[in-house]
Amino acid sequence: MMKIKKIKNFDAMLLALVFIIFIIGLLSIESATQAKNLPFMEGYLFKQLTWFGVAIIFLIIAARISYHKFLDAAYILYGINVALLALVLILGQARLGAQRWFSIAGFAFQPSEFMKLTLILALSAYVGSRKGDMDSLKSLMVPLLLMGVPFALVILQPDLGTALLLIPVFFAILLIGGARIKYLIWMIAAGLAATPFFWHMLRGYQKQRLMVFINPNTDPLGAGYTIIQSKIAVGSGGLLGKGWLNGTQNQLNFIPERHTDFIFSVIGEEWGFLGAAAIILLYLLVIHRSFNIGNLTSDSCGKCIAAGITVLLGLQVVINIAMTIGLMPVVGIPLPLVSYGGSSLLATLVAIGLLINVGIRRSTF
Amino acid sequence: MSVEARNHFLISAITAAFLLLIAGLFYNQILRYGYYSRLARNNSIRVIPIDGPRGDIYDRSGLPIVTNRLSFDVALVYQEINDRRKLARLLSKALGMTGEEILKALEKARKRPYSPVTIAEDINKDAAIELEEASFDVTGLTIETRSKREYPYKHYGCHLAGYLSEVTEGELETLKDLGYRSGDLIGRSGLEKFYESYLKGVDGGTQVEVDSRGRQTRILGVKEPENGPPLQLTIDMPLQITCDKLLGDHKGAIIVMDPASGGILALASHPTFDPNIFVKHGTSVRRKELLNDRKGRPMSNKAISGIYPPGSVFKIVTASAALDLGKISYGTKFFCGGTYRLGKFSFDCWKEGGHGSQNVVEGLMNSCNVFFYNTGRALGVDNLEAYAKLFGYGRPAGVDLPDEVSGIVPGREWKLSRKKAGWYEGETLHYAIGQSYLLVTPMQVLVMAAVIANNGSLVRPHIVKRIGAIQTRMPQLRSIGLKSSTIQNVRGGLFAVVNAQAGTGKRAKAEGVAVAGKTGTAQNPQGATHAWFCGYAPYGDPKICVVVFLEHGGKGGLEPASMARGVFEEAKAMGYFK
Repeated sequence: MMKIKKIKNFDAMLLALVFIIFIIGLLSIESATQAKNLPFMEGYLFKQLTWFGVAIIFLIIAARISYHKFLDAAYILYGINVALLALVLILGQARLGAQRWFSIAGFAFQPSEFMKLTLILALSAYVGSRKGDMDSLKSLMVPLLLMGVPFALVILQPDLGTALLLIPVFFAILLIGGARIKYLIWMIAAGLAATPFFWHMLRGYQKQRLMVFINPNTDPLGAGYTIIQSKIAVGSGGLLGKGWLNGTQNQLNFIPERHTDFIFSVIGEEWGFLGAAAIILLYLLVIHRSFNIGNLTSDSCGKCIAAGITVLLGLQVVINIAMTIGLMPVVGIPLPLVSYGGSSLLATLVAIGLLINVGIRRSTF
Repeated sequence: MSVEARNHFLISAITAAFLLLIAGLFYNQILRYGYYSRLARNNSIRVIPIDGPRGDIYDRSGLPIVTNRLSFDVALVYQEINDRRKLARLLSKALGMTGEEILKALEKARKRPYSPVTIAEDINKDAAIELEEASFDVTGLTIETRSKREYPYKHYGCHLAGYLSEVTEGELETLKDLGYRSGDLIGRSGLEKFYESYLKGVDGGTQVEVDSRGRQTRILGVKEPENGPPLQLTIDMPLQITCDKLLGDHKGAIIVMDPASGGILALASHPTFDPNIFVKHGTSVRRKELLNDRKGRPMSNKAISGIYPPGSVFKIVTASAALDLGKISYGTKFFCGGTYRLGKFSFDCWKEGGHGSQNVVEGLMNSCNVFFYNTGRALGVDNLEAYAKLFGYGRPAGVDLPDEVSGIVPGREWKLSRKKAGWYEGETLHYAIGQSYLLVTPMQVLVMAAVIANNGSLVRPHIVKRIGAIQTRMPQLRSIGLKSSTIQNVRGGLFAVVNAQAGTGKRAKAEGVAVAGKTGTAQNPQGATHAWFCGYAPYGDPKICVVVFLEHGGKGGLEPASMARGVFEEAKAMGYFK
């Protein structure tokens, strides 16, 4: 009986969308890296596919084990993740002077990539378990602390992009969890008032990136150059694009990091407005499926998880594409499912697994 | 707000953001299409980087030890070559490249057809001028000027300078935020590594517009490169060269230090390498040989990264501990008959027949093992361990060079955890004469000698005196709390080692300056004994401390003592003792 229900509520459409977007990503990575002329087995495509295989296994695990078990372990997972973040910082700072840089280099695994998920689980565990009892100011203290600690650690790393993602995820879960709107607005106001303080915590190159966004001419050689070239690439794509593997800006090696953070410039240039808008719509469909899963479940924890993941995925897409077309500063956020890179792909598919998990267990109450 | 309203707000906000993206795309790709497609078609913007040179390194009197010079590289932009024959003729005329080499170079350039690919590095100036003039006619050819790291003293002081090599792809992942580019050089050892973050310059560049033939049409912006700040060292280069020459073909190390400040005046480790070999891009046979030489290990700095048993130089610690704790006094005498018996074991002195009855000064002078067996037994392992640590053993001396190691100061606990066994009394005897499990770096031995020279104060050695215009923080001397009578007696012993007729370190006696010191001949499982000498001069008011270490170098009283004399006499000639 249970089994039938699970299959019935399994969101095949969501998974299909994810596959389609991933394949578009593979095509784009191939186009972005073909100039390097690597043999297939050593190339980016092969590595990305390998990561995908690994990530699918984790997706299945994230979907199969009931998410209530994850929620039970949420604080432990969260604690481990925060400890790992702190460890990265300590390892990075224990060796001052010239050694400072290499210590981080050894870390292929990025705890900050998974912090987004463990934070969603921890916040959902807390907020969901207090359903209907979130309207006091006191009840917001624990969530604020849960978000604040990893936020500070991530920003010190320094990984501005990830840090900025944690905040909207936090507000989305509180919003869906029933916190008072008045308090949420207060918090946003207080956060904005504290922004100058955070400005001082930013590293030089991060300040520079923000400055360059405001005025790209401040650094025509570095960050500004990337934005200019990326805009030329996307803009010159026109309505229909230059065709797959035919983007001149892309193939002429003008855009650095075009197979990772700036992959959308390749899509925009080669597939034009129609192709690029179609991909945005595909993402929007994913977001709506994800939102619906939260809407349909009656479990408040499940609602919080779905809301967190919806906002997380949606914002990554928005920020990445907006920075590619010069609407936002370059903060170094990959395009989920499309950008080359293992940690991001793994984290995204685990998130999708959790969504499916919430979806298939919606009627167990 | 109702639940529905909250849900509605969330999904509406996200959807709105997505629609905004599509609007942004519409603006860039449809409304501004003409503008951007013209930019993409007509001209291209390129960035030509200009290296920010690394900071220079000077010795204490301003002699340049590590500098930069301009070098000329030849690069090809494959896409822009239109007359291969003309190009080939030019390359063979100016650089003497063979047809085969030219084909290889073209093949290399073809892999990245749109960007300049270096095909010949560091060509001479005349050839560069010839090519530069011809490049107006021959498209696709450019001469790039780069600043190249140069080590004018080559092998001398090579472990101080260290060496550079290209950053790897993996390192670049994290280093690019700090301004590193593919092909950049980064410090791998010595000061080049330790002060990498200071030495590295900030790259600049020119942003240019190029036409369809790849010619520059307009310069859009220039960012000036910035030099890394220069380092000034405490090193005295002439004295450094003396030390390197004294070591010659021996494997080992010599360090010279001003005991009052901890400033290192010279640091030589042999075998050596020539850092210039590592500056060129790509690999070379000589470089591989150096990196893979497991026997001589020329790349390792023996002065701070090599650990060896100290042998008899450690008797300075044993004597100090025993005097300080009142286990012996100036008047205490032990009789040496050539052997010492403990249970059924016998422990030999190095001198057959023995040294007779001696006090601590004579014990040091003769480096009598039996005297120190007695002293060590009176002290016990725990006191030896404590005093060894007090003199700076068992932890890095803290000099500003990378890869300094701690060595080993054994003790009961150490043995239990490492060897899973209790401490034996016989091992205490070996401990007292600097054997047992004790392992030290030459730098630590130098710091120990400086404690005696400094009237009982530990100093932290350093090499960099000034970074740019900023004086580095001078480390303070720290007293380790020895009684002044202890220091006086040990000093007397060290004076006798060099100056008494029977002293083991007689060969260190220098013309015109009073030297004190201690010899050491350390047995080791790898082969012939290691030879040590550490000491200071002038005896009354020490100005320099020296340690000489020769790996498998025989007896400390022979070559190391002679080399130390060489250092002291050179230092005198240079005016250090005025």
